[in-house]
Amino acid sequence: MKLAPLDITSNIDNTITKYTNVKSTKILRTLQLFIKMSVKIRAAYTNSISTSRIIFTCLAAVIVRYYLMLSKYQTVIANHVEVSTPLNSWKRVSEGLYLISKNINPYEGDVLHETPLSLYLYKNILLVFQDRIHLAFITFDVATAIILFFTTKKFNWDLFVEEENNKETFAKDAVECFLKPEKLFKSSYYVLLTYLFNPFTLFSCVGYSTTVFYNFYLAVMMFCMVHGISVICGIFLALAASVSFYPVVLILPVTMYFKYAIKSNFKIIINLFSFITTSVLIMLMCTDFGKDFSYIRNVYGCILTVPDLQPNIGLFWYFFTEMFEHFRELFIYAFQINNTILYLVPISLRFRKHPFLLTVAINFIITIFKSYPSVGDVGFVLSVVPSFPHLFPFSQQGFLVGTMLIISTSLAPILYYLWIYCNSANANFYFGVTLSFAVAQIFLLTDLLFSQVKRDYMLKYGKNRKIDGEEGILCLE
Amino acid sequence: MRLITTYFLVFLITVIQAFSNKSHTNNWAVLVDTSRFWFNYRHVANVLSIYRSVKRLGIPDSQIILMIADDMACNPRNPRPATVFNNADQHINVYGDDVEVDYRGYEVTVENFVRLLTGRLPPGTPRSKQLLSDEGSNVLIYLTGHGGDGFLKFQDSEEITSQEMADALEQMWQKQRYNEIFFMIDTCQAASMYERFYSPNILAVGSSLVGEDSLSHHVDSSIGVYIIDRYTYYALEFLEKVNPQSDRSLSEFLKVCPKSVCISTVGVRKDLYNRDPSRVPITDFFGSVRPIDILHDITNVTLVQRKRAKSKKPKAKPKKYMYVDPLVNFNSLNV
Amino acid sequence: MIYSLTFLIILANYGSVFCYEGSIDEELLIKPLQSNQVYAHFQFSTKWDIDPEKETFRHSSLFPRPIGELIQRFDIQELHVTLTGGLWRYEKWGYPVVDAATGAEVLAWFKPGSDVDTNWKLLANSLSGLFCASLNFIDDLNTIKPEFSFRPRGVVDSKFINSSHVRYANLPHEIVCTENLTPWKKLLPCDSKTGLASLLNSGHIHNTRYHSVGLHLRPVCRDKSCESLSLELQQTVSLVYDYLILGTKNWSLRKLFGQGVNRKCVLVNKSDIYVDTTLTDVELEPAPDKTVTSIRGGQTTVLQKYEVTNTFLNIYAKYQNADVVPLNLPPPLHANQYLSGYGQERGGIVTKIYNNHWKELDVVLLQNIPWFIPIYLHTLKVVSNGKELKPLQLRYIPARQRIRPNYLEVLLRLPARTSTSVVIDFDYVFLKWQEYPPDANFGFHIGSAVISCYLPVAKNYTAVPWDMTLISDSFNASRNGYLVEIRTENLIITLPTPDFSMPYNVICLACTVVALAFGPLHNITTRKLILKSNKKVQLVEKIKKLLNSLSKTKEE
Repeated sequence: MKLAPLDITSNIDNTITKYTNVKSTKILRTLQLFIKMSVKIRAAYTNSISTSRIIFTCLAAVIVRYYLMLSKYQTVIANHVEVSTPLNSWKRVSEGLYLISKNINPYEGDVLHETPLSLYLYKNILLVFQDRIHLAFITFDVATAIILFFTTKKFNWDLFVEEENNKETFAKDAVECFLKPEKLFKSSYYVLLTYLFNPFTLFSCVGYSTTVFYNFYLAVMMFCMVHGISVICGIFLALAASVSFYPVVLILPVTMYFKYAIKSNFKIIINLFSFITTSVLIMLMCTDFGKDFSYIRNVYGCILTVPDLQPNIGLFWYFFTEMFEHFRELFIYAFQINNTILYLVPISLRFRKHPFLLTVAINFIITIFKSYPSVGDVGFVLSVVPSFPHLFPFSQQGFLVGTMLIISTSLAPILYYLWIYCNSANANFYFGVTLSFAVAQIFLLTDLLFSQVKRDYMLKYGKNRKIDGEEGILCLE
Repeated sequence: MRLITTYFLVFLITVIQAFSNKSHTNNWAVLVDTSRFWFNYRHVANVLSIYRSVKRLGIPDSQIILMIADDMACNPRNPRPATVFNNADQHINVYGDDVEVDYRGYEVTVENFVRLLTGRLPPGTPRSKQLLSDEGSNVLIYLTGHGGDGFLKFQDSEEITSQEMADALEQMWQKQRYNEIFFMIDTCQAASMYERFYSPNILAVGSSLVGEDSLSHHVDSSIGVYIIDRYTYYALEFLEKVNPQSDRSLSEFLKVCPKSVCISTVGVRKDLYNRDPSRVPITDFFGSVRPIDILHDITNVTLVQRKRAKSKKPKAKPKKYMYVDPLVNFNSLNV
Repeated sequence: MIYSLTFLIILANYGSVFCYEGSIDEELLIKPLQSNQVYAHFQFSTKWDIDPEKETFRHSSLFPRPIGELIQRFDIQELHVTLTGGLWRYEKWGYPVVDAATGAEVLAWFKPGSDVDTNWKLLANSLSGLFCASLNFIDDLNTIKPEFSFRPRGVVDSKFINSSHVRYANLPHEIVCTENLTPWKKLLPCDSKTGLASLLNSGHIHNTRYHSVGLHLRPVCRDKSCESLSLELQQTVSLVYDYLILGTKNWSLRKLFGQGVNRKCVLVNKSDIYVDTTLTDVELEPAPDKTVTSIRGGQTTVLQKYEVTNTFLNIYAKYQNADVVPLNLPPPLHANQYLSGYGQERGGIVTKIYNNHWKELDVVLLQNIPWFIPIYLHTLKVVSNGKELKPLQLRYIPARQRIRPNYLEVLLRLPARTSTSVVIDFDYVFLKWQEYPPDANFGFHIGSAVISCYLPVAKNYTAVPWDMTLISDSFNASRNGYLVEIRTENLIITLPTPDFSMPYNVICLACTVVALAFGPLHNITTRKLILKSNKKVQLVEKIKKLLNSLSKTKEE
């Protein structure tokens, strides 16, 4: 049987999950250690990820976040413009909730940019957790990580299955590029690891940024998309789109996924239907059944027309600071179209056979070009990238992207401090760093997509590059 | 006795009419200082010197538009508050006791200047800020500040180009907002500002030619900055000797400040001006002509009754007025 | 001559003979302050016995016509305009006769039924032309409608006050100089030729630590029954001279104003000078006409009165004990405002109010914070001597960017003998490059806070009671309370500036980054990967290929 190694893996997985579901007491922890040890011996053969390893990783992440949140660094991190933008800052949520408690409409001013539904959620979180809201953020963050883990696990499984089924159509000497199970199935653990420990998401969580909730909605959406649960997929897509306008465009990749991966037209319709219904319901709830439309100006008006020019890691703020007034509208349209629909249809058509990559790519485009990005968005996208280990052999710019990301991330707070507190640098320095950060992300995206194109070519035509006995070169024409 | 006075008046009227152009009926002055900051004290002193001369020679405040971009007189750095001197010997306080500045501070912008000239001001603009000239007005335009080849800098943040200046004056011509314009500019490379003019009846003089810098005159050590520019210093010297009845001609004024004292060459543009400057009195632009017409007919005047509804109702019972409490009573509020 | 006479007769038949009913008084109060300063306050009061609601303001004899036109055109009920340079130091100087914030302040009450917003904007424009000040910068961005502060000082016909008819704006950046004084002086009946107005020489009155020019217009009761109205116009000048600048402690009218009073203005009813000699042992030359003792709110004041006549008058004060420095006791209530925090990212506005009275005081704190300073209401903290105080009432209208400012009014009950700080946090925002003024690194102004209180004692208090007009009416005028409206300092914050020379560069660079994404993505989506030959093509082959392609195109 072709699928024997996996069978054993899933068996062990089932046994372990049966016995190690709860993760609190010491006795169980030692039990887990013991089982982990035995599993380690078998891991070399079965190449699977043990539940205990996942639990350990999550615990470590929880501890790190807990420690940072209760330390004096919390306010420092929360105050950084890279972490909290006008759209996701917890200070503004507190202001909004306070204004509501004083019977002042929070959308009268320009401070709050969250929808009434999100405010309702945060109010209930505060009611439940009271002084310990850090627990809420940690819970959602770790939950997002785990959901991403299972999403990518399923995705890798589907990928492997599909490739196994199509092995006949591939070229003879393309064996090297075939998916390797041991690498492939470990990748979802790397996704988990990346999400939990990459500094972007870590600081986003510690800084009480509401991107944590947005990432949660996106993760659940992707989980349901991959598993084919169209109704909940539509619901969470609508939720994500209500918080930030841009996920609306993800409806096309999701539809593509249902069509080409799940191959069910019925589910497409159900998905669309649930998306539209949920959006309408959310709108009704937020406007209090038609009474108060003021939140639209604050939320979507702010996202689309960019009135607040606070520095962030995106491209919009300095561009629109220095923009001439009579060209402002033109460039707003240009930038928003660039972000949403410019690449949507072409890339969707080109990568319709790889809808998960398509979803990740469109999400990546949104993250790079959105009006108020924060490191939480970048962290989410970066953590999904390890689920494509089959593309890494084809990528050419990994080192460049890595160094650019590291340098820009470390330079950004320094130059911001020099500009704002020391008055020695000026806005151009920070702008330069945001430019290089954006370029790094763009290189990563294009590299990933191009690797997929190259891999497809390799699978189809093999490694041979000889024309008439002489070496040829691959180029895009 | 009465006959003699009538004959004398008639003689005076004919003299005045012969002396001046028939189409010139009133005088306006637009005096603009475009520089901000204490070290540009001399530009404010420049424009106030011309303001003082123009006012002394008869143009009333209501027909002078004075634009000063920064406050020098009441500036905390001024050792003698409420005074602006253009001479280290402090003979004349050009700021004076009855100055009226129409545009000051941040209001001195290119947009406001062009709108003022062309008359396209927003509704509600007060009269003192409008240039209400007509086809019989002789307008004196004086600009000072920092300039370059083809532009004049306004407040260190924007500039007006010579083409924009020329277009604004052309708009004035099209709207018949001037009879003649005397355009004076005291900046570096001043001549570049008037090179693009293409409207008729404009006589332009600049303190330096293209490629030359206009220089300032001297420093007042108690204030610490240069306090006047050379061209305006010598122009003011000339104007101080002019009084409303004098017959000094415009060509004498154009020759003020030769290269030996001004170091820069004074540039003049005469080709758009159809009169001979040696036959134009300087008071045509710097003074104010008030033509006097004696009426011999009786004019019936009827007052327009304002349509306020005069109530035919019986006298309403008297209202009782009261003073309110100076401050709200805290105890009466719903705490 | 005959013709002009006939002209007049004809006019007289059609027009009405106009008499002026009312009174015009001018007064000068000179009060040496406790700390080496001299306070001089001019008040020119014009009272016109007409009904402001029915009057057309087309004829005016002694009442200034421009003001009449303003009232009639913009349906003004009450108007207060002040232009001030310098800061009034309450803790050292007590309370002035008229409170004014540094810069320009305009407060107007409009008649019910009028279009207040349009009238307010047009009024600001007209005032800017009238006073040669940049009051045309007053618009929705800095106007508020305070609910508790600034009640109407004139008479009203009902106790119910609708705060939608009031507008208040202040421009902290305005400077006051001769160009504002000149048109102000022209509104006086005698201009500045005779009477007390001849003392207002700009070279001298601007050489002071504090100079404030004001115009206050309100309807008042014509008589005790208060069934008919009069229009009262008060023009005030407040000055604080420093002995260091004067050079000597022995002041005189000539030293202060450059000249003495020549003649009395013939149109004026009363023209008096009052010198306050309560705290100082001073010998006045010439001898005063009368000594007035005023007991008001528990405080005794001794004033020397001079009546201005047609003879020249120069008052010369000689201090007996020049080395004696009187004890400086602060007034019952004074306040300061300052910024907290460092850097250009976030900060706080702190208003510190000192209550030196032995009883608790009720105050109303009004803050008009510009729109580019977003404040966080949940960070508002009122701490009084270490203990947290809860405001009695709070009114807050948040700012909208580029539309309206922050309006915050807090009602507090200050405990006795405490210092209370009201702290609120804000963020520094980043504006569009055109919104920065030409001297962007100077910073932006935040106007002063206004603290209104109804004091039970009249310590250091000189203001005229509400139902009265003249300074002389304030003598022995004890009331239930004494209103003060304390102004604090103006604040300057430096917002982070972009690089103003960079617009084209920024556009090019940002578009380059966008293009960096567009290029590869366009390539990936529109092109296919194909294998191309790597052979180096010989020159001869190249020419052959070129000729072939040329011939092909020729055929086509």
